[in-house]
Amino acid sequence: MFFRMIKGTLLRQWKKMLMIAFTIALGASLAAAMLSVMFDVGDKVNQELKTYGANITVVPKSASVLNELYEVEDGEGTGAYLREDELGKIKTIFWAFNIVDYAPFLKVSGELDDGSVITVVGSWFNHHMELPTGEQLDAGIASLRSWWEIQSGEWLDEQSNEDAEIAMIGSALAKKLNLSAGDSIHVKGSTGEKNFRIIGVFDAGGEEDDQIFAPLNTVQALEDLDGCIDSIEVSALTTPDNELAERAAKDPSSLTVAQYEIWYCTAYASSICYQIQEVITDSVASPVRQVADSEGAIMEKTQLLMILITILSLIGAALGICNLVTASVMERSSEIGLMKAIGAQNGAISGLVLTEIFITAIFGGIIGFFAGFGFAQIIGHTVFGSAIALRPVVIPIVAILVILVTLAGSIPAIRMLLRLRPAEVLHGGH
Amino acid sequence: MSLLELKHIYKIYGELHALDDVSMKVEKGEWVSIMGPSGSGKSTMMNIIGCMDKPSKGEVLLDGVDISKESSKNLTTVRRDKIGLIFQQFHLVNYLTAVENVMLAQYYHSIPDEKEAMEALERVGLADRARHLPSQLSGGEQQRVCVARALINYPEIILADEPTGNLDEANEEIVVDLFHKLHDEGTTLIVVTHDPEVAEVAQKTIVLRNGRVVKEVVNQNFTGKIHFSEEGTHVTKTDLKSEEEIKAEESK
Amino acid sequence: MKKRQMYFRMIIASLMRRRSRMLVALLSIAIGATVLSGLVTIYYDVPRQMGAQFRNYGANMIFTPAEDKLTLEEIQQGAAVLNGKDVVGIAPYRYENVRIHERPVVIAGTDMTGAQATSPYWHVEGSWPSADGQIMIGAGIAESFRLKMGDLLEVSYTPEEAGEDAETVVDRITEFEITGILDTGGSEEDYVYVSLADLEALTEKPDSIDVAELSISATSEELAAYAEQISNAVPAVNARLVKRVTASETTVLTKLQALVLLVTIVVLALTMICVATTMTAVVTERRKEIGLRKAIGASDASIIKEFLGESMMLGGLGGILGSILGFIFAQQVSIHVFSSSISFMPALVPITILVSVLVTGLSSLMPIRSATEVDPALVLKGE
Repeated sequence: MFFRMIKGTLLRQWKKMLMIAFTIALGASLAAAMLSVMFDVGDKVNQELKTYGANITVVPKSASVLNELYEVEDGEGTGAYLREDELGKIKTIFWAFNIVDYAPFLKVSGELDDGSVITVVGSWFNHHMELPTGEQLDAGIASLRSWWEIQSGEWLDEQSNEDAEIAMIGSALAKKLNLSAGDSIHVKGSTGEKNFRIIGVFDAGGEEDDQIFAPLNTVQALEDLDGCIDSIEVSALTTPDNELAERAAKDPSSLTVAQYEIWYCTAYASSICYQIQEVITDSVASPVRQVADSEGAIMEKTQLLMILITILSLIGAALGICNLVTASVMERSSEIGLMKAIGAQNGAISGLVLTEIFITAIFGGIIGFFAGFGFAQIIGHTVFGSAIALRPVVIPIVAILVILVTLAGSIPAIRMLLRLRPAEVLHGGH
Repeated sequence: MSLLELKHIYKIYGELHALDDVSMKVEKGEWVSIMGPSGSGKSTMMNIIGCMDKPSKGEVLLDGVDISKESSKNLTTVRRDKIGLIFQQFHLVNYLTAVENVMLAQYYHSIPDEKEAMEALERVGLADRARHLPSQLSGGEQQRVCVARALINYPEIILADEPTGNLDEANEEIVVDLFHKLHDEGTTLIVVTHDPEVAEVAQKTIVLRNGRVVKEVVNQNFTGKIHFSEEGTHVTKTDLKSEEEIKAEESK
Repeated sequence: MKKRQMYFRMIIASLMRRRSRMLVALLSIAIGATVLSGLVTIYYDVPRQMGAQFRNYGANMIFTPAEDKLTLEEIQQGAAVLNGKDVVGIAPYRYENVRIHERPVVIAGTDMTGAQATSPYWHVEGSWPSADGQIMIGAGIAESFRLKMGDLLEVSYTPEEAGEDAETVVDRITEFEITGILDTGGSEEDYVYVSLADLEALTEKPDSIDVAELSISATSEELAAYAEQISNAVPAVNARLVKRVTASETTVLTKLQALVLLVTIVVLALTMICVATTMTAVVTERRKEIGLRKAIGASDASIIKEFLGESMMLGGLGGILGSILGFIFAQQVSIHVFSSSISFMPALVPITILVSVLVTGLSSLMPIRSATEVDPALVLKGE
């Protein structure tokens, strides 16, 4: 009989029930959309912040001390190099998945025909890698220097021009030498010389404007430095540093085993640096504070902002649902009065009304959840051009929210109606 | 000319003939009761007289004008200007005070006038309760507010639907006395009821059964004696049944 | 009594005497309006607030000398072109070669407060130099010379004019106290930093600045315009943008603003629908009253006018409440997220009120209309 009555309500009052389900669906979709976006916004913004370039630099151990210092006197560096053949290992560390991009650099001095000395930088542009994991990756400065403005020509495509003597040159240098894309420039190193064809002229807004960028192997040939690189820039998705990360960065051995585990298995810039040092021989990896710290601050702020907006919309959704549930229960005063008049116990009435509302709520909640996830995808694709991941944790949060809110909306109303005397209700409630 | 005349009214819902060839006349200043068991068609008739519904067939002449074909918008105007309604459930706006409920009728009719509304409440003996909300009034008091609201615009007809249905005896008496007073003042009253005690006090009682007028009783007490109507040419001999017959049929 | 007076008397009676029901509806509208005004305020304020966060990336404009060197005065002239309140910090830098323990080191003279503002990402262990005779050294220097905080450091400078005849020149030596060790992950770690005044004292050469870093809260277009204005106004100064910072900032900020905009739209749309369903419920509940009003002679138009008036009044109240709550919400968000207060947008108040009046009005119009179409007799009987 109980279920027959419920069925009766749901079928006969389907319009009203549909409205409740609709509101609950709205609320649930709002909650699901906001929660999904909130949980994913960190990753998404992190990805966006990669436009600032590398947040970790790797240099040879001995060079890290005085290289920059001596560069003033002697551009050649100190003679310590990293090994090119180890570069692939960076994609094998624990946090390999968080390594978005990286590129090796080799700076040498070259002499031009007019006798002036310039810096030639060898690097990857869009280097193609087949990783041991079966993944493929295009890494290089094409994405690590996304702020470069190409003034003439185009980005150098190293995949289709293997071993060719091609280069990109900085705008200041191009201006000085009156060169543009398509021209050639002759550079003499200590052990070799190259006739670079200029593919593009870039404006970097910094010291790189006075440099020539060419594929790594051609630059190595200039100085007979096969297999040598002098720095690596790594762009990694990182978690903002906390106190633990800072302590670990100074000295990982000061941590307890448990703390070490946590640190090692969290994508802090310092733990990723540590892991890179483990795979690259004689290297020192350090976070580029300018990028790493700012990323942390911006991500934190964005996440906090989204959390607060989410809380506001959750409160809004909750009150909206609560309101309507209360209103719809109140509306049924005469029905409840009648049930009391024919001898129904309070418990039975509450059970009946609650069951009806819960069936409606579950129905609305499920529809709302999927609609909300759809909204999140719209946001993800419009703003970030990628899908928002479905976090399993969103499901229980939305479910609990819907249940709590429905209860909070219906119980006070039911209690109030049960307090009424049936006669009053049946006499029009005046 | 009669104030209200129904000519061969039919109201048909699919198979059901809620009203089946009903004719009736109400003169100005007359007090008429419409009686019948539930399902007899008296609500339908009340709705048609009250301009809340239109007959499927037939004419309704109010002041000599046929209103049976009017649009619902015009019916609203007619209802507003000529008819005062009193309901079994009182139907007061529960967030307006007694006097405001009376003024509501003025508001829709012409211009609200609090003084006049107070006078109307005084006539029904509720001047001291004017500032109370319906929930603070007893059923009898609410019904008297309803009466005040019905008569505030000096309607041609006051139409009451089971006005005492929700009242105890004491209040019933007060309301019936009020009707007497209104009648003495020359108001036309049509009271739909199934309560013979209330029906009997009218000048004329029309009895409906199965959508037909089966009897018209003129209350002789009102004028001195009871006699069967000789008017109502529409009442055929075969339709005429004695009260015993009707009761016998009802008990089946 | 005028008809209009009765009209308002009825509406106010309905709002005041059906208090609990109306409060429920008002609450719902107020929440809608709060979301509207709060999120729109945030949406407009995010670029400004986030822009400030992006200043973490450091200088986005540099002044280089048009020829040889800059003076402090020229830098100030250049900075004067900027709208003062957008300038986060200005740090002039002067680089000289000095020797520490007979090894060559680059020393930078700067305005420490300015440097702190333009390079917020510098990690300083210890403290920034705040008095004469104090020095901050890069982490690289600290490591290679095995220096620590509190150590005294002798810095010797060889005057340039002595280049050829080194015998006759005496190095000028000053002793500094190390107050801080700088960690940046960049080339700064291999420099030492002193105040401009100290460096001038050491070199006995005043006012020759190599470069000035500026951190300015502005979009990249504004910055480009500023740079041009400055270069034109002060010929000695060559103002350039730090492309890496400005270009990236534009990219990321655009995305962030798009994010907040979309979120605002989704949340607003859903909240407004919520308000609409609540209003529908509120009106539907009163079908019987509408029937009664029709029975006692109200025309459809007057019923619509009354109920709409009531809804819109509720909408207006909710809008006012929502404007206030929305501002409080935005303010709280701003304080918690960005630790700064938000700018109040007066134009948003009438917009919020208007939108909530429109939404409540439109969402109640439908159910009112359908209620007036119902036969009053049916509604009144149907208990």
